[in-house]
Amino acid sequence: MIDSLVTETADRALRAVATFDAVQSAEERRWSPEIWDAVASIGLPWISVPEGAGGVGGTISEAVAVLVVAGRHAAPIPLAETGLLAGWLASSAGLSVVEGPMTVVPGRGDDDLRIVDGRLSGTAHRVPWAASAEQIVALVDGHVVVVSPSAGVITEASNLAGEPRDSVTFEAAPIVNMVPAPDGVDADALRFRGALSRAALMAGALGAMTELTVEYTSQRRQFGKPIGSFQAVQALIVKCAEEAALVDLAVQVAAREADRGEARFEIASAKLLADEAARVATRAAHQAHGAMGMTQEYTLHHLSRRLWSWRAEFGDAVWPQRVGDAAVELGADRLYRAIAEGSASGIAL
Amino acid sequence: MAIQFVATELTDDERALQQEVRAFCESHLEDGSFEPGLGMMVARSKELSLELGRRGWLGMALPTEYGGGDRSVVERLVVVEELLRRGAHLEQHWTADRQSGPVINRFGTEEQKRRFLPPICRGELCFCIGMSEPDSGSDLASVKTRATKVDGGWTLSGTKIWTSNAHIADYMIVLCRTGESDDAHKGLSQFILDMHSEGVTVNPITFLDGTAEFAEVVFDDVFIPEDLLLGEEGDGWHQCTSELSFERAGPERWISPFLLVELFLREYGSSLNPEARSFLGSSVSRWWGIRQVSLSVARMIDEGLAPSVQSAIGKDLGTEFEQTVVAGLQQLVDLEPSLSSDRLFHRLLARAILISPSWTIRGGTNEILRGIIRKGLA
Repeated sequence: MIDSLVTETADRALRAVATFDAVQSAEERRWSPEIWDAVASIGLPWISVPEGAGGVGGTISEAVAVLVVAGRHAAPIPLAETGLLAGWLASSAGLSVVEGPMTVVPGRGDDDLRIVDGRLSGTAHRVPWAASAEQIVALVDGHVVVVSPSAGVITEASNLAGEPRDSVTFEAAPIVNMVPAPDGVDADALRFRGALSRAALMAGALGAMTELTVEYTSQRRQFGKPIGSFQAVQALIVKCAEEAALVDLAVQVAAREADRGEARFEIASAKLLADEAARVATRAAHQAHGAMGMTQEYTLHHLSRRLWSWRAEFGDAVWPQRVGDAAVELGADRLYRAIAEGSASGIAL
Repeated sequence: MAIQFVATELTDDERALQQEVRAFCESHLEDGSFEPGLGMMVARSKELSLELGRRGWLGMALPTEYGGGDRSVVERLVVVEELLRRGAHLEQHWTADRQSGPVINRFGTEEQKRRFLPPICRGELCFCIGMSEPDSGSDLASVKTRATKVDGGWTLSGTKIWTSNAHIADYMIVLCRTGESDDAHKGLSQFILDMHSEGVTVNPITFLDGTAEFAEVVFDDVFIPEDLLLGEEGDGWHQCTSELSFERAGPERWISPFLLVELFLREYGSSLNPEARSFLGSSVSRWWGIRQVSLSVARMIDEGLAPSVQSAIGKDLGTEFEQTVVAGLQQLVDLEPSLSSDRLFHRLLARAILISPSWTIRGGTNEILRGIIRKGLA
């Protein structure tokens, strides 16, 4: 059970600062110190990072619940990166986190980071908010490596929602810290953590999108009545609400299980369901909004562009494949147990 | 405000029950010992119903003083899930166990509870539901079947249609008009009708797959004794809508094609191409998610809440998904479906294609459910 005080606090803080204008301008400025400071001042980015490593402690479930709130507000800050991802990598290698924002190298196939003579070379792609982070944490050659963004050359790039996803090129750059990655900390584990963080953000965005759609279709009138009273439009609203509720629940269960073990099946399932919802629910919400939803003057795009972006981050098509392969491996006799018991069934992703 | 579900999971006791049911199924429902089906109304087995009754797995949430188990909705989910996924024949007791028993327990007189609940819990009684009429389906409040007060009871006249199990049922809980109100929702009442009463004619209607699942039921001045009025006279609409929301999101709303997928995996196993594996993966994960929804709804009912909107979401998500699974499988296997194939997977796929359209219709069409959900979102 999540202490609702944490999520209420997060909601209050973000409601005050992550306004429409603030989210909009963060896209142009590529950073929003106001939004970051508001959540950092109450310790939200470091939930789930042990106190001994400079974090504020707490469970993965609590960190995930805060990410759901951040997703609701389309908060353009590296909240997931600082805690659940970079904070996790650093603290599990015995390193401490710093006070400012941290980010992580997601680890794409076209990255070529390598360590030569104790220095870092190569390029990392799609690094979230690289230019604004105090530190970048990467997995390189079986090591948790911490570098300063200023040690590399940053090529700016963004996801569809205008959130920075930069490339960083290092040439024999100095390393702040380098520790062998402990057991269970590898590129695949990072991918699962990343998927959980994106599913959580998506759950929040889907919930907010549902509320926006309910509100808009209640106010917008055509043919003399609110468009939400037409059964065809109702079906769109309900589609959105159902997918949002399903993903939210899946994320809750995945986070609960992640506090107990690897939870690979649950995390893959939550991300897979979120990706599907990003397709189906976002289509429904846009359809219900008509032309209004296609403008940058209205809030919907803050959510829908994020959903489309986050869908592709930390794997998309890979999740149905991995669950499918694992189900084949598990076999017909035990297939139902995967559905009923998840990872405890022995389904191995 | 968006609708949310609260995550829950089985307790140790509930897991122990699950193990018990699994062990029972392994010894009583072995492969090849019966022709499994898809869903809740496959076929009936009086022996199985009686055996489940003996084990205390019927009327589980009913009070012990009427033969029930005083157990929870979650425990019932655990039992039903294990039986349904194996395609067990539950038709004999299904409606009585899921719907009629709880409704009699909630609205019935002490005498009605003593009379009907113990045999329901023993698996002896088959009930059917008299709701739809030739001119009243989704617009249920427009029913025309009428009960008129006579000496010692009522006489019933009219026609019910698309009634599942009418040909085998002992009793029907029938919704009919007893008053003259202009308001369609008022003046409706429910009765427990003995299907063997004089003046009841059951005309079978052949279902799409050739089975006799449906019937038209004609009432020609059927006498119903006074003491079989269920609940309050004129309160039928309220009683009936609460009945419809009972466990709308139970396993029968999402588990129906599971056996088909299990057989698919068994037959095609490691030869599945990446596309088929992705389909399998998506299906398993979505099943897992929808089951969490179902479990969450059951837990809410046990906590005394009335999750009618959440239940409707569960049914809409679940039944749509069931149809997606059938359509997806059909696309992956290159065969002409046949009900008479000598391979179980082929026979079941053929049946699934024929009966799956009913999944989003029965118990309230998904279009009507979405109206309920939309109202809950306001």
